[in-house]
Amino acid sequence: MANQYGGWAGKVLRVNLSTRKITLEDTVERYLDVLGGTGIGYKVLWEEVPAHVQPFDAENKLIFGVGPLAGTGVPCNGRTAVTTIFPTVSPMPLVGSGHMGGQFAARMKYAGFDAIIVEGKSDKPVWLHVHDGIAEIKDASHLWGQGIVRTESTISQEIGQESAVASIGQAGENQVPMAVVITGRSHSAGGIGGIMGSKMLKAIAVQGKMPVRIAADKQKWENLINLHRSLLGANNQHVVPSFPHPKSEYFNPGSRWVGAPGKRWGAATPAVTLTDDIYSLNRISFRTNNAAYFLGDETWKYTVRGNGCHSCPIRCHTVIKDPGIAAKYGIQELAQNTCVGLIYGRSFFPSLAKDRGTPGREASFVGMHLADDLGIWCNYGQLQRDFVRLHKEGIFKQKLGAEEYASIPWKKCDDGDPTFLFDILPRIANKQGEFGEVLGLGTGPMLKRWNLDEEKWGADKDTAYWKMGHPKHHANEDDGQCGVVINTQYNRDAQCHSHCNFVRSGLPIHEQKKLAEKNWGSADAVDAVGEYTPTNIYKMRRAKWAIIRKELHDSLSICNWMGPWIASPLKERGYAGDDTLESQLFSLATGHTLSRDELDKVGERIFTLHRALTIRGMNQVNMRKEHDQSPEWIFKDAKDKPAFSKGTIRMDKADIEKSLDLFYEVMGWDKTTGAPTAQAYKQLGLGYVADELAKGGLLPK
Amino acid sequence: MSSKDAIAPMEATMEDSPEGISRRGFIKGSACVLTGMAALKASEAFGAEKPWFIIMERASGMIVGDPSLCVACQRCELACTEFNDGKADPGLTRIKIGRNLQYGPAGALGTEKLGLWGNSLVVQDTCRQCPHPVPCSTACPHNAIIAQPGSGTRVVDAERCVGCRTCQMACPWGMMTFNEDKGKADKCFLCNGKPKCVTACPSGALRYVPWSDRTKTSPPRGAFLLQVPESKAAACASCHVAAPGGPRNPLQNPVPNPLFTPAK
Repeated sequence: MANQYGGWAGKVLRVNLSTRKITLEDTVERYLDVLGGTGIGYKVLWEEVPAHVQPFDAENKLIFGVGPLAGTGVPCNGRTAVTTIFPTVSPMPLVGSGHMGGQFAARMKYAGFDAIIVEGKSDKPVWLHVHDGIAEIKDASHLWGQGIVRTESTISQEIGQESAVASIGQAGENQVPMAVVITGRSHSAGGIGGIMGSKMLKAIAVQGKMPVRIAADKQKWENLINLHRSLLGANNQHVVPSFPHPKSEYFNPGSRWVGAPGKRWGAATPAVTLTDDIYSLNRISFRTNNAAYFLGDETWKYTVRGNGCHSCPIRCHTVIKDPGIAAKYGIQELAQNTCVGLIYGRSFFPSLAKDRGTPGREASFVGMHLADDLGIWCNYGQLQRDFVRLHKEGIFKQKLGAEEYASIPWKKCDDGDPTFLFDILPRIANKQGEFGEVLGLGTGPMLKRWNLDEEKWGADKDTAYWKMGHPKHHANEDDGQCGVVINTQYNRDAQCHSHCNFVRSGLPIHEQKKLAEKNWGSADAVDAVGEYTPTNIYKMRRAKWAIIRKELHDSLSICNWMGPWIASPLKERGYAGDDTLESQLFSLATGHTLSRDELDKVGERIFTLHRALTIRGMNQVNMRKEHDQSPEWIFKDAKDKPAFSKGTIRMDKADIEKSLDLFYEVMGWDKTTGAPTAQAYKQLGLGYVADELAKGGLLPK
Repeated sequence: MSSKDAIAPMEATMEDSPEGISRRGFIKGSACVLTGMAALKASEAFGAEKPWFIIMERASGMIVGDPSLCVACQRCELACTEFNDGKADPGLTRIKIGRNLQYGPAGALGTEKLGLWGNSLVVQDTCRQCPHPVPCSTACPHNAIIAQPGSGTRVVDAERCVGCRTCQMACPWGMMTFNEDKGKADKCFLCNGKPKCVTACPSGALRYVPWSDRTKTSPPRGAFLLQVPESKAAACASCHVAAPGGPRNPLQNPVPNPLFTPAK
């Protein structure tokens, strides 16, 4: 079938590394019901990868997927979803996805593909060159053993710079579960590196100039893009600045909108001074400087520019330059990253973990330099939190042999000496000794191997552990019960930002409540942080909406670190964004017109497929008991303040159980088990899923 | 409009004959210009067998980029092709950033490393709206690249373009693009005076400014080949003659135009 739609490239590439067979599929014919991205990933896993398959088996597949909006001018569409049987989930491997930004998503579309499915296992190192509608498997023996930086550079020399290369470092090659694939220096997808390594796939390069068509009238499209642009805030859709400004009704010190007039990109040539027109659409990129936000205000001096994904005006990655650090530690002058990637290095050092001055910045530079070349994942900071706790509680001393323990320069760690990282990070990447092996496993298998109590690990708020080997990701500390329920639903950290992009937008609670009433039917759908009230159906409607939008974003290719756009910086709109943006963008781009509710139904289908994969993978229908768990720390308070009192994020156990009741109810799932009913599957066009689950006794009674 | 109106200020005069201009005008100045209107009329009057007039009106505006402000998002490229052509088309885009992102204009094999893997500067490649001899226009054997009436912007006349890609080879800065769907050359036309890339830029790194000649100071991007089609060679030769007896001041000592045919 010819591609009758705009948006999609129209083809999915399938590469079998065992047989070296390369085939094509029609995207719309095969995958219209799941859009793209994680949708294609889940569908391929459901149909083709049986439950017993382990992450590093040849039978496991990697699905690099984007959606119809990738490569277009929709703001914030740069993320590629990589779906697979994820290697760091405990107690057994289950479906999961890593996501990387940069240029890869767009370039994959321009190369002619909506997704690349990698199957099998090569018997020698290879890289995959995908270009202009075709693909070639190429020898990578000259790349094997190299870091990510050199790999990307060598491939670019061969094929030219108008390409995007996603590659693994030594950690991936050595099949370390905690390994990443990285594209464009700093855009990484966690957990994927080791699986590429198991397939001996060093890199994928995408390249091409095939256009992505917009189905709608040009003027309509331009108008919609301009509307969307006007609704953007800063990173994480923070819609008020962090500083007082005459043009702003509100400000919020927690906001990532840190680009105040007078701040400078001090390492630009020549330096750039930020101007007063903070709301100008031609100044959006100056609002965010995550290097300054995470590493300290002094980092403005070292800022070269903002960077980030194709098509995104936000620039959440910051390019920083410090020749002094480079000379001192023998590393590159330039570094670049975002969010926890920026603080990767300093977080290993208890004395520097919160340091926003020079020592913290030095450790962070060294950390980025090593981690993004060796390709070691941090599991959203859990690697460092685990490390700090293992060290603090003397567990390393107990578990490592005396000789190995003595070989690690612990004094450097205690002194906050960044050269410590030159010792320990290669151990992890090379699976060197018990230390390297264990830290590369991920938290779940690490706890199991060293006989540590998972419940105890999750009892301590500072460790921020959630469950199944992974940490919290915007849970009760940001969004009460809504955050908790979202964090129960995934097999790795939830990676959902739909909810916190709204509640952490920086708007005062009374403005949030107005928007909540409009969108979820009641102002009670949202509480102020630390002023939580008992659960209600509106909160759970919002939780459902948040999860569905996350999956929708990961399938359409919209960045869930920015959308959905419930709030906006525009006072004249009552700070409202537009909850129909996704469906409008999708409809105009593809020509396949779906309303907000119709498109949300597709998102629900995609998420339900994830749920079904989890049920099948666990061979367990009782999700409530065996999967949707929360750690003990959320039910505690350091000062023993009761739940629902002011100033605590403490949750109440019965209230969380009730939240799950309500959540399962709004999802149309069985309340006892939290599993979708046959009816729920069928309503979403997933009758075939229900049939298969029924055979295994995996439908609720 | 008379031919005198057609002459831009500060430029040399041309022969005061409408016929002379519109058909084979002999130009007496060194950097003479015609308005687009005259050029259009000229082209309409041309027959394939006759030598073409190749000196164009100067452009009035141009886009300049500031690499220290560019954040590499490529929203300019997307605005260019989505809002003008209804597709995101990295091959067609008339402003070019994507090709410089990683290593800069010298590329991965070059020695001067800019871009993400060099000093992080991203160079925005924009059309210089060249003065005479406008390489793309001069090279076009079909006279399909003309000065837009009023603005002087160098634009492709899609009706005349046959898609031979000669212009793409001629531009020293690689700024000619090609619309593969239409089989026609394309180039920056400054969105008829409201450049969409400039509007779209989220970091104010692009500006639409009065034209100035940047062609003499910016090095070419790579290899290029300026061919002068046979049909235009005579027009070149009409100005570029040997200098009999040393330096020549054409304003004082006009050289007879061998191609001039008196009006009937």
